[in-house]
Amino acid sequence: MNIPRKLLDRRTVLRGVGTAMALPLLEAMLPSARAADIAARPKRLQTLYSPNGMIMPSWRPTQPGRDFVFSPTLQPFAPFRERITIISGLASNQAVGPAGHGRSCPSFLTGVRPRPTEGSDLQCGVSVDQVVAQHHAEDTQLASMELGIDPPSLLGSCDINYSCTYTNTLSWSNATTALPVTVNPRVVFEQLFGDDDTLDESARLAQLKRRMSVLDYVREDANRLSGRLGTNDRHKVDQYLESVRDIERRVHKASQQDPGAYAAGLTRPAGIPEDFDEHVHLMIDLQVLAMQADLTRVGTFMIGRELSNRTYAQIGVPEAHHMLSHHDNDPQKMAKLALINRHHMEHFAYYVERMSHTPDGAGSLLDTTMVLIGCAFGDSNTHDNLDLPIVVAGGGLPGGQFIVVPKLTPMSNLHLTLLHRLGISQDRFGESSGVMGALAA
Amino acid sequence: MREGIFGLRNSAGSTRVSQPRLSRGRRIAATCFGLVATSALAADIPTASAPAPHGPLAPAQLLDQYCSRCHNDERLSGNLTLSILKPDDPANGHNLEEWEKILRMLRRGEMPPHNRPQPTPEARSGFTDWLAASLDAHARAHPDPGRATLRRLNRSEYANSVRDLLALDVDVSSELPADDSGYGFDNIADVLTVSPTLLDRYLSVAHKLSQLAVGLGSGKPYVTTWMVPKDGSIKNQGIPSWDERASDDLPLDSRGGASFSYYASQDGVYEISGWLNANTNNEVDRLPENRVSLRVRLPAGPHHVGMTFRRLLELDESAQTLRNDTNIVPLPLEAPAKLPLEFIVDGGIVGETAVPSYYMSPRFSQTNWPRDVLQINVEGPFDAKGPGDTPSRRRIFICRPRNAAAEEPCARRILSTLARRAWRHPVTDADIAPLLGVYSAARDGTNFDQGIETALEALLVSPDFLFLREQNRPGSLPGSVHPLSDLELAARLSLFLWSSLPDDELLDLAAKGRLHDTAALEKQVDRMLADGRAGALTDNFAGQWLYLRNLDHQRPDVFLFPEFNTRLRAAMKQETELFFASVVRENRSVLDFIDADYTYLNEPLAQHYGIEGVKGPAFRRVSLDPATGRGGLLGEASILTVTSYATQTSVVKRGKWILENLFAAAPPPPPPNVPALKSSLNGKPLDGREQLELHRADPACASCHLKIDPLGFALEGYDAIGARRSQENGHPIDVTAVLPDGTRFDGLAGLRGILLARKEQFTEAFTQRLLTYALGRGLEAPDMPAVRAIARSAVHDDYRIRTIILGIVRSDPFTLRRTPET
Repeated sequence: MNIPRKLLDRRTVLRGVGTAMALPLLEAMLPSARAADIAARPKRLQTLYSPNGMIMPSWRPTQPGRDFVFSPTLQPFAPFRERITIISGLASNQAVGPAGHGRSCPSFLTGVRPRPTEGSDLQCGVSVDQVVAQHHAEDTQLASMELGIDPPSLLGSCDINYSCTYTNTLSWSNATTALPVTVNPRVVFEQLFGDDDTLDESARLAQLKRRMSVLDYVREDANRLSGRLGTNDRHKVDQYLESVRDIERRVHKASQQDPGAYAAGLTRPAGIPEDFDEHVHLMIDLQVLAMQADLTRVGTFMIGRELSNRTYAQIGVPEAHHMLSHHDNDPQKMAKLALINRHHMEHFAYYVERMSHTPDGAGSLLDTTMVLIGCAFGDSNTHDNLDLPIVVAGGGLPGGQFIVVPKLTPMSNLHLTLLHRLGISQDRFGESSGVMGALAA
Repeated sequence: MREGIFGLRNSAGSTRVSQPRLSRGRRIAATCFGLVATSALAADIPTASAPAPHGPLAPAQLLDQYCSRCHNDERLSGNLTLSILKPDDPANGHNLEEWEKILRMLRRGEMPPHNRPQPTPEARSGFTDWLAASLDAHARAHPDPGRATLRRLNRSEYANSVRDLLALDVDVSSELPADDSGYGFDNIADVLTVSPTLLDRYLSVAHKLSQLAVGLGSGKPYVTTWMVPKDGSIKNQGIPSWDERASDDLPLDSRGGASFSYYASQDGVYEISGWLNANTNNEVDRLPENRVSLRVRLPAGPHHVGMTFRRLLELDESAQTLRNDTNIVPLPLEAPAKLPLEFIVDGGIVGETAVPSYYMSPRFSQTNWPRDVLQINVEGPFDAKGPGDTPSRRRIFICRPRNAAAEEPCARRILSTLARRAWRHPVTDADIAPLLGVYSAARDGTNFDQGIETALEALLVSPDFLFLREQNRPGSLPGSVHPLSDLELAARLSLFLWSSLPDDELLDLAAKGRLHDTAALEKQVDRMLADGRAGALTDNFAGQWLYLRNLDHQRPDVFLFPEFNTRLRAAMKQETELFFASVVRENRSVLDFIDADYTYLNEPLAQHYGIEGVKGPAFRRVSLDPATGRGGLLGEASILTVTSYATQTSVVKRGKWILENLFAAAPPPPPPNVPALKSSLNGKPLDGREQLELHRADPACASCHLKIDPLGFALEGYDAIGARRSQENGHPIDVTAVLPDGTRFDGLAGLRGILLARKEQFTEAFTQRLLTYALGRGLEAPDMPAVRAIARSAVHDDYRIRTIILGIVRSDPFTLRRTPET
């Protein structure tokens, strides 16, 4: 991009040179052909995740191709037929084995076999959303957002031999660092728009300057501390330092933007709503808002944790989710689980709807966002990792079709395909064996 | 992690690794009863102080006779082969993990398996006594305090530390992300990592707290909302209001409403407003017609703010309708009466208004509930008059600069005092210099208070505050062991008992080097346990050991258990918390956890238990008659509820909970592809017991379930929310059970007997859990001698809990540290 921008170094900005703020890039400033190209390229990745697997016969549409009939579970996506691609047959080979939940969840976005441990020696792999986040880290205030509904780690409720960390989140910034999910909408709001009473610009900048000085101080303090520690402990302080650097970058970014404009008219949410559906809606609204204000371009949303035993009385299912998922082929239990699956898909369709109605340049946010929707395993009863229920939407992907891939095609092939479409041209990801031709640009 | 040195796996055709057996001569020598340290054996035991074997069989002989048939290189049962073990291993500190496991299995009677030849009781105890003594002797001679990485404060510890540092009691734990758990607790050093999200939240929280504490802030009004906990959101089931006092902070003659903690950021005017229920078909409607408000002037600082109705003995406050059909809503017969609604601040009535006892609208729909408050808002400050005089400002500003020249020295004093407490050690000028730099930079162009506030923010996110610093002795060799300094010990002690910072008394004692003195340490422990801050032990240790935190997330089916409401849930939790706290406070026996003759009840909980004579919402201690079927943890509804599903009990969950939390004997994970319980066979529906019997018919399942299920069966007399029951689905409940060794028992009483028969094992298991929590790391084989020593001291002191706490505080793992290898 050759548009001249005044690139200010951090110190200059923080000395309060308020008049020299960088302007947001306007497509109108570019020659139109290039603008069209840039506008058309997807730049966002959103993952929407449902736990405990699915009733696959209720999920799978009828015949592959363009003439498929929507299944009951996927019916909520019917209005967006031309924007979605349903994919059957992808496999998480690395997740096969005992402890279906503990393995499948960390494998979903990483394509890696996690190390079975309940202690400190966690080992997974970088997740596809974080590859994107790290690639575009300089462009947005928040590299990524990890949102959820169920609070992490209820005691004794994680898969045996697999630390709760594995099922608390989908996102790993590297093989040993899992990124926690945020479940409180107020906290999300504050992450996006700050927590001061005021959105007054000069006060905001003054506050950012003070925060920078705090970060300088703690960084130096941590460096001093690190010198006196053994290797293991230094690793922990390194995590701390990396976090400081990440926030410094974010503060720098924040000083160049004024997201307050988007928050006008919004009230800060009081906290976590009691009602599940209200909570989900709020989190989805905030995610869309974050993308609209370009505060982030990468998001993951877990509508529940693996092993979730939430009940859904509001749709006529008072039994616990995880219990139903091990239905042992009882038709009544299967029908109820399918209702839960569909209910989750309804919420995800709401996300697609919001994104398709929110403008972005000449089109909508959905045009430039790749959306990945699915579960970490397919058949819930057997924790079948070899046939995952996946839907991709938006991002300029060819839509309106139901694809069945060859058996054992790794899920990582889809990850790699998404990375390529986002302009990240690496050879491999996770356990990939290639890209998916049906979706390639 | 040390690699388990198990025997070589034997693939077909490979040669078997053979280990020389004891020579014939030695065997003869060993079998002579009473011939302890014979010269042949003595040659194998280098340390003169190692205990000699006793009992009818020598260790090697016992293992050979009863164990080696399965635990050898070919069969490798339980992944253990004895071929790599030698009798002098414990004395030499070799293969500790395997030997501890052997000790555990033999002491519990789990090995040899019941269908195999058993050693005589004397041979068994002779062997286990020798083994335990050897392991203990080795630990005494070679203390190994284990190793954990740098420990970060978890969010509860962070919140408490800030509260004690700044005298600021604001709940911030909901603002920080929940911490990951390990080994059943969320204070495990290895698991507490730092991520950008976490640090970002820390910064945000530090900013908010510093502003409040120093008394800065724009002075612009903002709204704080409090939702009164209520039932009735799902299909309008549940009772939304009660004719009883709702909180200890409300007057005695009040009913309903709520009170909550509010921190006024400045001296000023605050508007307290509330919404009453709307009497419509959606109970939680908030209509403007049902809003009441009052403006009051409040000083800056902490307050209790609430709204409640004054209880009128004569007037029936409910709307008089009779609802007998969902399609027909009869209208009230009389005009609404006037109810006195009071605004309560800090225990006093600051205002009053009259509200109608029902609200008529086109959507009127109401059964006989008294009118109540749904939500309370506080908005302010209006007409703000400055930060005022608050406990936190007094704590921070120990001096006030009179002129510009006095500012820097005063800032130095303030920051040194705060840093000493926050970093848990005395500080020098050099230590403070960078922090003073933050103060100066922020002071520039603003004022003294702003400078202090930013420096305080930096303090609250500094690594020295967030992490527990434990240092190597200068010149110490990697791997060497040294005692913690007094200051380091004080830091660990206050995290253990208070989940917070050391207070000034503890810090002063430690800075003078007087904490290592046994009498002084004991005195401090007693003082700390008597202090209100020891409530953290109940909140955090008991809250996790007993899974009480899960109670908030439990959602029993509203149709099957309509009586499970907000009130009952809170009461269940409080019973267990008060009970645990009483055991600590009164230094009672830990066996009370298994069987006690008292508990704490209020009226809702007593009704739930079918116990008469308990009136009112306040909790009080109640003596228990055995006929009540209560007493001890397993009779408490909280535990019975968190070990159940939403619609039914779970024998397996309850059995597993007992094994894991009362015996530190968690069953191994289920094998892959474990089939679900079959709910019917050949068309005939099966009840819970029958389902499990069928499940266990498979020997692969039986081996564990024979241990787990009996414990759960005995509790089947309590339903999924802990109420007593005698039948399920029309069938009488069968609470008989059989242990793998054939012992029969039934019901909770029988179960208690079984548990009490293993009271030493329970005491050790409890010690293990508490030690894990105290150390912030999982326990390993080298810790077990300390566990045994602590448990032994408790056994000799009537199993008292403080003996265990003191034992932990004085133990090697708690007081020593190993210099890291690199």
